[in-house]
Amino acid sequence: MSENSNPFVSQKAVIEDIIPETPGIKSFVIRPEEAFAFHCGQFAELMVPLIGEAPFAPSSPCYEPEQLIFTVQNVGYMTSVLHEMKKGDMVGIRGPYGNGFPLSDLYGKEVLLLIGGVGFPPARALLYSLLKEKERFPRIVMCYGARSPQDIVYKYQIDDFRKEIDLHITVDSADKNWNGPVGVVTTLLDQVSLNIPKTRAVVIGPPIMMKFGTLKLLEIGFKPKDIILSMERKMYCGIGQCRHCMVDHLFICKDGPVFTYDQLKNLPDIWE
Amino acid sequence: MQLSFRYISFHFICSYLHALFRTGADPGFRVNQFFSVSKLERSHALSSAQYYIGKAQWASLLQEWMDKHRVMAPVQQSGGLFFQPAGPDMLSDIVYDMARAVQPLKSFLMPPLDEVTGSSPVEEKPFLFLNVKACDIKALSILDSALNGEFREPNYCRRREKSIIIGSDCTQPWDTCFCTMVGGKPYPEQGFDLNLTKIWDGFVIEVGSDRGWSLLEGHDQILKVLVKEEATALDKLRKESIKKVEQQNKSYEIKTSLKSLVSRNWESNAWKKHAETCVECGACNHACPTCHCYFLDDVTREAFVKLRGWDACMYSGYAVTAGGGTPRPRLVERFRNRYFCKFKYLDDNYGTYGCTGCGRCIEGCQGKIDMRETLYDLTNSKG
Repeated sequence: MSENSNPFVSQKAVIEDIIPETPGIKSFVIRPEEAFAFHCGQFAELMVPLIGEAPFAPSSPCYEPEQLIFTVQNVGYMTSVLHEMKKGDMVGIRGPYGNGFPLSDLYGKEVLLLIGGVGFPPARALLYSLLKEKERFPRIVMCYGARSPQDIVYKYQIDDFRKEIDLHITVDSADKNWNGPVGVVTTLLDQVSLNIPKTRAVVIGPPIMMKFGTLKLLEIGFKPKDIILSMERKMYCGIGQCRHCMVDHLFICKDGPVFTYDQLKNLPDIWE
Repeated sequence: MQLSFRYISFHFICSYLHALFRTGADPGFRVNQFFSVSKLERSHALSSAQYYIGKAQWASLLQEWMDKHRVMAPVQQSGGLFFQPAGPDMLSDIVYDMARAVQPLKSFLMPPLDEVTGSSPVEEKPFLFLNVKACDIKALSILDSALNGEFREPNYCRRREKSIIIGSDCTQPWDTCFCTMVGGKPYPEQGFDLNLTKIWDGFVIEVGSDRGWSLLEGHDQILKVLVKEEATALDKLRKESIKKVEQQNKSYEIKTSLKSLVSRNWESNAWKKHAETCVECGACNHACPTCHCYFLDDVTREAFVKLRGWDACMYSGYAVTAGGGTPRPRLVERFRNRYFCKFKYLDDNYGTYGCTGCGRCIEGCQGKIDMRETLYDLTNSKG
């Protein structure tokens, strides 16, 4: 994007593959015209021509900027049209925007990923980055909650991840084939032993899950500065101008989307 | 879809807004420097910053600039004082005193709907805004900070950088004016290239920037050094102007800073009381010279053309996410948010209030909501 300083100009990207993840979630493998360098936790404005844009954090590793994966839930107008798109179709992409995860702050720390539902995609990008420098992190624990067994994303990778990290999965409601834990994701925290003073928690998920996840972490002894949140709001510009994503005086798009709870704890209505 | 709905609702709900859309702004040209007001180059033949210029001499000067600029000047029309494109035939219609025009400058610099992807740039003459009042000049600093920061909104920056700002003193405030309540004055002290104060049969002309100096270059002969009587008259007029604004806002006197007043009143019954007559038309947002929230719309299949349009935080759909969630589902929350944005958030972001006291939000409100009354009520509420 270097030749064009206009922040509103998207570059073209071809959908190379579409991976159905769950009944409502698909992964779109896209190849932008130019490599799209980003830090994990940063997001892109993905554009469906004639329809509009929405912010998504890639779920693919940040060390693979030529080909990106966006795992998208069919939840609104733009995503419903995206879900109808086919291999070979063209989308637009601009960015990356935001600060990304503070990876170097996690060096030497045990990392707890507390993830709900479609929070897994950005968490997967983080996981790839953590695993790339695995020796820097004494322990990686991931607690993931999905609504039901069929709502679990990246099912085909779960076994591989289990070999690398301490992975716990729970579902809100089980089916007859599920023999894992049942309950909201915070219930997993009662079952995992954590060295809390040496651990940094990363919380990603829907607002209600992030709220109760954070409260639970505080309850079990995490300090606000050790809880890292990836926030979401309505966005248009992604560049700190249109003001739709404001939480108090903070731009989620520019000052975030990654914050410590310490930065947000005194602001009203952060979970809405 | 969203766009056409908004457009229809604009016109249906509030014809007042229509007035704001009289913009005449089109994509223009490219330059790289905003004018600077910090350092005045005094190497010019002219050395003082204030002069007196006769009415006829001013008119000839202005005519000269009309060739190379799109002069936008306030003209009295039915419904108010409007910025209009002014040619040589309109010199006698231009209003130099009175108060601010109906449209804020954002109507021209970031018009209500604008193609921002630069796919069809049009060569345009730079704007020369004439008789801009202090409230509107001050508002530009918010727009500059927001739209010309780390990222540049290309159309705004392009137009703004070439625009000449000629201010003039506000001598007869509208009854909605309250600049003195928000730390302003009815005459500008910075942010202008030139400023005019109508004194007798001419103007005191003040130079406020390098660009202002170069506008006057070669015209030493028609500029007179300010004599004592003129300086005294200027001083007197300005004191009177301040007094008029203060006088009409006497009943809203607030002792504390508005930022601390608003900040400590998250929970106040004043929000509910004053939001009661709000019809969520967004007029306060659209009329405001500092409100700059926008939405983007992608309107082509192949060319990736994007439009930027004015949004309004009073609309219920403003912050609604794809999943339907919103941080401010209730009207009273959106109402409160507007005050917090004006007096806290924008100050936190850019170091200045998002309210310049122009009073357009009061003038345009269908529910007769008066920001001054809301603020004043906060002083009496427990928070």
